[in-house]
Amino acid sequence: MSEQTLQKTKQRPVYRNIGMGDLSNYRLPIIGVASIVHRITGVALFVGMILLLPMLQMSLKSESGFEACRTIVWGNWIAKIVLIGLLFAVIYHLIAGVRHMIQDANKWLDLASARSSATAVFFASVVVTALVVWRLVA
Amino acid sequence: MSGKSFTQEWWLQRISAVIVGLYALLVIALLLINGTPSYAQWQALFANNAFKAFTALALIATFYHGLIGVLHVWPDYVKNAMVRSALNAYSWLAAAAYALWAVYILFFLK
Repeated sequence: MSEQTLQKTKQRPVYRNIGMGDLSNYRLPIIGVASIVHRITGVALFVGMILLLPMLQMSLKSESGFEACRTIVWGNWIAKIVLIGLLFAVIYHLIAGVRHMIQDANKWLDLASARSSATAVFFASVVVTALVVWRLVA
Repeated sequence: MSGKSFTQEWWLQRISAVIVGLYALLVIALLLINGTPSYAQWQALFANNAFKAFTALALIATFYHGLIGVLHVWPDYVKNAMVRSALNAYSWLAAAAYALWAVYILFFLK
């Protein structure tokens, strides 16, 4: 075996036990992106309840509380980003959840439909989120 | 995880998902039809006992679903036993506190 062939074989990955530090070396396919976003939106909603529950309480307590809530939401851009983010999280998690349950029923499991449905989940959730935000602002 | 069988947990996760999903669809539809509610509309909506009951059910289902969800997510990323126990404790406490808080808001808020 020549020196060159040895070097060539060395460049190939020897094992595939992927740790956090190796993640940047791998391209995550759209199916994987859909999966991790489902997790991130889920965790964000669980943690985000700490903001949503006091807002529900404020909005139901009194008219001034209700107006204060509206001011908080639309009054500054950080709140806007957080709340539109949480709205997207609800809508994404719901639509991706429907896809998940369709896959539980052994449908859309072949590569082509898994890919196209993952892409469709992103498009649909962005469109529905935009529609709701537009309706709330208009 | 929660002491129950995994099959039971699997089903409960999906049943709770359907409850929360239907509730979310209802609220999204109301927002799309009505736009931002006025305070009077908001009060009237929550004065309706059927809507209030559905809200309570959906919120409890949300917290259960979220608790089971995060309990499955943490161990996939957190390998340190202490941090993992802390996250699990936070999750249980948060879910329980959310549930009590939601019941207070819906039924005991003066």
